[in-house]
Amino acid sequence: MSAEIKEVYSFAAKQAPFSDLDASACEYFANHLQAVYLTTENQHSWLSDERPALYLIRSGLYDIIDPSGEVVARLGEGDYFGYPSLLTGEAITNRLQVQNEGIVYLLEQSAWDYLREHYKPFAQYFVRAHANRLLSTNYQSREQDWSQKKIRDVMKTGAVCTAPTTSITDAAQIMQKFGVSSLMVTEQDKLIGVVTDRDLRNRVLAQKMDPSKPVSDIMTRKPKHIFEHNRVFSALHLMLKQNIHHLPVLDETHRPLGMLTSTDLLRQQKSDPVQLIGRIYKATSHAQLKRYALEIPELLHGFSKRIDDTSLIGKLLSGITDALTTRLITLYEQEFGEAPTPYSWICFGSQAREEQTLHSDQDNGLLLPNDLNTKDKAYFKALGEYVCQGLIDCGIRKCPGNIMASQSQCRMSLHAWLSQFESWIVSPSPKAILNCKIFFDIRYVCGDETLFDDFANELKKIVKNQIFYASMATDINTNSVPIGLFNQFKLEQDKQKHRYLDLKKRGVAIINDIVRLYALHNGITSPNTLSRLDALERLEHINKKDIYDLKDCWRYLTQLRLNVQLSQKGLPANCIDPEDLTSLEKHQLKEAFYLIKQAQQAVAFKFARGSL
Amino acid sequence: MGLMESLKGFFVKPEQQKNVLQENCFHADYLVIDLELTGLNAKKDEIVSIAWVPITEQRIQLGASVHCINNQVTNLKQSPIYHGIDQDGIADGKPLEAILRQLNTQIEDKVLVFHNAELDWSFLTIAFNKAGLLHKPAAILDSMEIEHKRLARQGQLIGHDSLTLGNCRARYNLPNYENHNALTDAMATAELFLAQINQISRGKELLIKHLK
Repeated sequence: MSAEIKEVYSFAAKQAPFSDLDASACEYFANHLQAVYLTTENQHSWLSDERPALYLIRSGLYDIIDPSGEVVARLGEGDYFGYPSLLTGEAITNRLQVQNEGIVYLLEQSAWDYLREHYKPFAQYFVRAHANRLLSTNYQSREQDWSQKKIRDVMKTGAVCTAPTTSITDAAQIMQKFGVSSLMVTEQDKLIGVVTDRDLRNRVLAQKMDPSKPVSDIMTRKPKHIFEHNRVFSALHLMLKQNIHHLPVLDETHRPLGMLTSTDLLRQQKSDPVQLIGRIYKATSHAQLKRYALEIPELLHGFSKRIDDTSLIGKLLSGITDALTTRLITLYEQEFGEAPTPYSWICFGSQAREEQTLHSDQDNGLLLPNDLNTKDKAYFKALGEYVCQGLIDCGIRKCPGNIMASQSQCRMSLHAWLSQFESWIVSPSPKAILNCKIFFDIRYVCGDETLFDDFANELKKIVKNQIFYASMATDINTNSVPIGLFNQFKLEQDKQKHRYLDLKKRGVAIINDIVRLYALHNGITSPNTLSRLDALERLEHINKKDIYDLKDCWRYLTQLRLNVQLSQKGLPANCIDPEDLTSLEKHQLKEAFYLIKQAQQAVAFKFARGSL
Repeated sequence: MGLMESLKGFFVKPEQQKNVLQENCFHADYLVIDLELTGLNAKKDEIVSIAWVPITEQRIQLGASVHCINNQVTNLKQSPIYHGIDQDGIADGKPLEAILRQLNTQIEDKVLVFHNAELDWSFLTIAFNKAGLLHKPAAILDSMEIEHKRLARQGQLIGHDSLTLGNCRARYNLPNYENHNALTDAMATAELFLAQINQISRGKELLIKHLK
């Protein structure tokens, strides 16, 4: 008669399937276990065909490696392994690799058989787990949700094109023949214009124009377009912002591939957030904008439950801020007259990266032409103040660091901005590095895009500076992930003695910093972390696996951070108490931090020559 | 056990003991033992409970573990604070001599492991002698002593509580056990011992005599 070991019993009773089974099952389990200590030296002795067994991890961290050497799963406290061969009777092909040694409970075949026969849910649990394991190995090819889809996946292929010399009548007949509502006008395979049903009505019939004239007379020149590899969400955003219903899709060489219509997108998903952005772009007053903005938190709550890809939430909130900004500028221009010169409204930080949260504050500025006169300067000062106040009214908080177009230091000429950046680059003091982390995530919001492009090109030139890269790399390594020795979480404590992990500061922000450095080094101008990673992925000299790892980590932490924001309880923003996580989540989180740490070290090695 | 057998056992043992010490520690059979006591003086204080867990081929046999309470304790004193066994708990136990006989059948040919062997083994020796039982284990190892030597070799400072079972386990990142009774502690000691021999050997051969 063996004695019941309370510690083992209470541990097993917390794990599925025992948590849902009669206590007698867990007692039997605890009384028939063997405990073993797994190390790299003895790892080959377990998971063997001679003595198949069920393994339950009590402590430590282990990888299951398939015959091709790929890691199938990384397992930690509360995870099982060994059951596939117990279930199927097939030979064991996977092997075990110990990451952190520890205690594993082992249940031999005879005891396993007993539990399987006497407790149906026990057997079902492992059958299901086995099926999931098989599924998860196909994870990479898993279907993505609609918003994450690439445009090429939702568009109808086959571009209907014609030459600029085609007559309007012929063009209309081509549209009739192909059953399309728009036509692309091309010259030597390059898109030069677009003609739509609406153009035929407004520019031909209503104007009593001669239909034998060439289509080039009525087409929209230099139309907005999108590339096949862009995401559906970007297309939606562009169409709403520009109020257009047809968007030509081009390949990388700018050859037209087809036309994306608003109906194509509506077919994908009826999306309230997108409708909200649409309404914002049409708002006729400050008060109306403010009313729409009130809907944002509730909308976000509903939306976040429906989607898998949380990077979309940041995109959505930034999209809303962009829309509010654009609309406020239009309202200002309607009231006080159009701007005397071209200008670009730009944004920085989280808005630029498109990872805004409900807590994000404003980070924006105005990029102005050189040599403005006093009167023009006064116009832009008033514009900046109007828009920033409008955004505050819509719930987007004032920036505590005063990074706002209402402040003179963020309302500068192209030259002044460039010399500002240059001063940070050539003398990278800690304060300068801090500024770089905010200002180098920069994005054009509205106004004159060429002015911004000129600026971005100049900036790309001055950033090439090894000492600057080294300082950024050193700075990245001053921020450590919250994992201590032996893979334990290192918690921080607030004044109320809550112990927590800061997912933003100690996770997402480090990834952003690392990716920014690589992006600057490779001349990638996009401010969004995932887009930067996409661009890096296309470069030959970059290790693809590192990129995938960073992407996965970023997505995971962002997801967790959002979940926390939606169910906040007493902790500082972006923080979690790891005790609230399941053992799987804890373990995924540790994994993510571990990968970040590796990436930090790689950055130090590459840019700071390991001189830390 | 017949007279002949016990006599045979008695004479064969010294020879065997020598052999066990030359054995690879991964192949020996162990019995990990823990006692709960009423105090620290082996001459005056009493054994409250005994638990043991066997280890064979590096597997802690939880199913073969035994936990017994001595129903002949005369004075618990303040000790229930530590082990939680009160008068009612004692009433459910059995006589110490019966427990010792049961333990004695397990001890033969095994290497015994304690955390702080000096204390527990002195209580057991006295109790075995009182009961007139022969007791000659193959060898006795002490996870506390093993840890002490290991830390000393690494030149680490050894504080007054660095060698408690809990603190030793924490050094190997083993889980923290909340219940404290002889059985949990025996299991905790067994796990600690496996961690120790694995870390000390690091894949190389390690003989039992090197753990003494």
